Amino acid sequence: MGSQGRVLLVGDNPFHGISHLSQERSRVRGNTPTNPEYAARLIGLSVENGADGFMFSVSGTTLSILDILRKNGDNDGLRLYAIVPYAYEYVRLASALGGVPGLAKKLVREIVFSGNFGAVASGLNGVMRSDLASLVKTYLLYEISRVRHSAGGKAELESVLLHQLITDLCLGLGLDWVFKFYTEFLLKKGITPGFNTGNFALLVKKLKEWDINVEDVVIAAPFNKVGFQMVPSKEECEKALTSLPKPNVLAISILAAGYLKPEEAADYIAGLPNIKGVAVGVSKEKHARETFKLLREKLL
Amino acid sequence: MCQGGRGFRRQPAELLRLVKAQPWLQFDYIQKLFCDVLKLGVNKLKVAVIGFGKMGVLHDGILNVLPKVRLVAVCEKSGLIRRFMKKLFKDVFVVDDVSGLSDLGLDAVYVTTPISCHFAVVKSIYNRRVASNVFVEKPLASNYGEARELCDLALKFGGVNMVGYMRRFSVTFKKAKELLNQGVIGEPISFSAYTYSSDFFGVDKNSKAHTPKISVLRDLGCHAIDLALWFFGDFKVKNAKVDSLFGEDSEDSVFFEVETEGGVGGKFNVSWCVDGYRMPEVGFTVEGSKGFMRVNDDVLELSLNCGEKLRWFRHDLKDGVGFWLGAPEYYREDECFVEAVLRGGSVEPCFETAAKVDRLIDEVLVKAGRVG
Repeated sequence: MGSQGRVLLVGDNPFHGISHLSQERSRVRGNTPTNPEYAARLIGLSVENGADGFMFSVSGTTLSILDILRKNGDNDGLRLYAIVPYAYEYVRLASALGGVPGLAKKLVREIVFSGNFGAVASGLNGVMRSDLASLVKTYLLYEISRVRHSAGGKAELESVLLHQLITDLCLGLGLDWVFKFYTEFLLKKGITPGFNTGNFALLVKKLKEWDINVEDVVIAAPFNKVGFQMVPSKEECEKALTSLPKPNVLAISILAAGYLKPEEAADYIAGLPNIKGVAVGVSKEKHARETFKLLREKLL
Repeated sequence: MCQGGRGFRRQPAELLRLVKAQPWLQFDYIQKLFCDVLKLGVNKLKVAVIGFGKMGVLHDGILNVLPKVRLVAVCEKSGLIRRFMKKLFKDVFVVDDVSGLSDLGLDAVYVTTPISCHFAVVKSIYNRRVASNVFVEKPLASNYGEARELCDLALKFGGVNMVGYMRRFSVTFKKAKELLNQGVIGEPISFSAYTYSSDFFGVDKNSKAHTPKISVLRDLGCHAIDLALWFFGDFKVKNAKVDSLFGEDSEDSVFFEVETEGGVGGKFNVSWCVDGYRMPEVGFTVEGSKGFMRVNDDVLELSLNCGEKLRWFRHDLKDGVGFWLGAPEYYREDECFVEAVLRGGSVEPCFETAAKVDRLIDEVLVKAGRVG
């Protein structure tokens, strides 16, 4: 962690073949960044140049990357920010397995065979009593165990963040109990609860309304000079950021999906209050070296 | 309250218009008083969503944050999902059938069931007088015959009707439409369109996985057809080819050629088995007398004969919305429907417009020897 307590995280979008600028750009990149061996090398290089952690959606690809980092001994002190569930993978699986029932069967099988008895017991309780909280708990226990198993003991699972789609859906539906349950459960587990959102200003407002201590959580949300994906507006997001009691925001999309140059992106972030850290995806070795060297200079 | 003598609740917006039209309410302050009282009712539109799948959940989430909407009921067939929903939503009615929505005094209904159920569900909404304002996820129906019948019902019962061709609310396609209307690339000569996704790319043909029973054309390709109708007007199908990758019954890849009423030739490629399309993508290349246009979900590019080249990403096209769930287009689409209901006007794409897509899909399948 840097002198101001900021974390510089490697983002995983390129490792999943995602570009929020255009899908065409990720097609042009090809499959190289999605190769776990190559991705692990990029993370290693980023760490050498100033990064101190990895923010990722929990998926087969990112778990493979963690496996490789552990085997290569590159996981020592690595700060992990895991995002669950990887909504895209589950939607795709549901399509391929004939809908939600097919997906549910696969997930149940995996949880049972994971040998996580706490998760199995909680899951049975959830199904028998139609208890959503028990099912959420089951799922979280399962994902946490998957990450810890792949990452090894030397890496530190600092936070588990709720995926943007789920956070914003629960936000839209006004499901305050999900936010409360999620926060309390992870705090008990000694993990910082996190929320990845595309509606930062509304989330901050609602957390306060629902009496959830915003100091207890981290929030990952888009912050960039051009206001890309800053909802409802750049000004509203900046205002909500200023209202926070302490730096607990992880800025994502700081390059506005490659639309901005790293220098101007970093300058904008450096001028914001309450930024705990940033997550930036890299797809080339040169990017890994230059980007994190620059972020270290500008933000730490 | 009745609307058009057919037993529907009259919309507050319509009442506002009636009040303003009354000769005995000529004094501004009296009109204002009436209007203010009625506007209280305008504030919250009572909406129900039928079908709690992926799209139902998405619309639920957006509708719930729209300031002028109150989500009052959800209708879902699955008993298990209903059981969880009752625990999830304390202030929302959860019912198993459209008939359960009849007495709720709804202003509007969203239909987000599987495509094969659209016809029966929408018909039931009208016939049971559940609500006169109906939003249906795309496509309108499973075939043109059904779509036509729904159009007739919508006409008979009035109200606002809309189909969820959300790409009309995408900033790149909106800008493309604007530029085409302005004749920036001159008169269109030809176009090619695609809709691709990787949903079933790399899936082993012998695995248990199977593609949906509904054709890729109706599930994904309908977006490109709707946009083409919006851009170039109506067209006829000249020839078509359908490929099945997962058994004879599946329709997984479609190619067809069309010609518009204005003589513009067009080609369509649709598939859900293409690598590199993590999210479904729709795109067009248009050749005009003064240059080329290339547009997809992310970017719009112009290459003019005079040598000028222009490019806009979403970043450049004011893609902001009040609430972001799924994609900004969904918010704009829902906002547009709600505003139309409140003001008592019409909105595009309506049932009539969307029925053309169903007609063209039928034409493609007939030309490809799949039906009829």
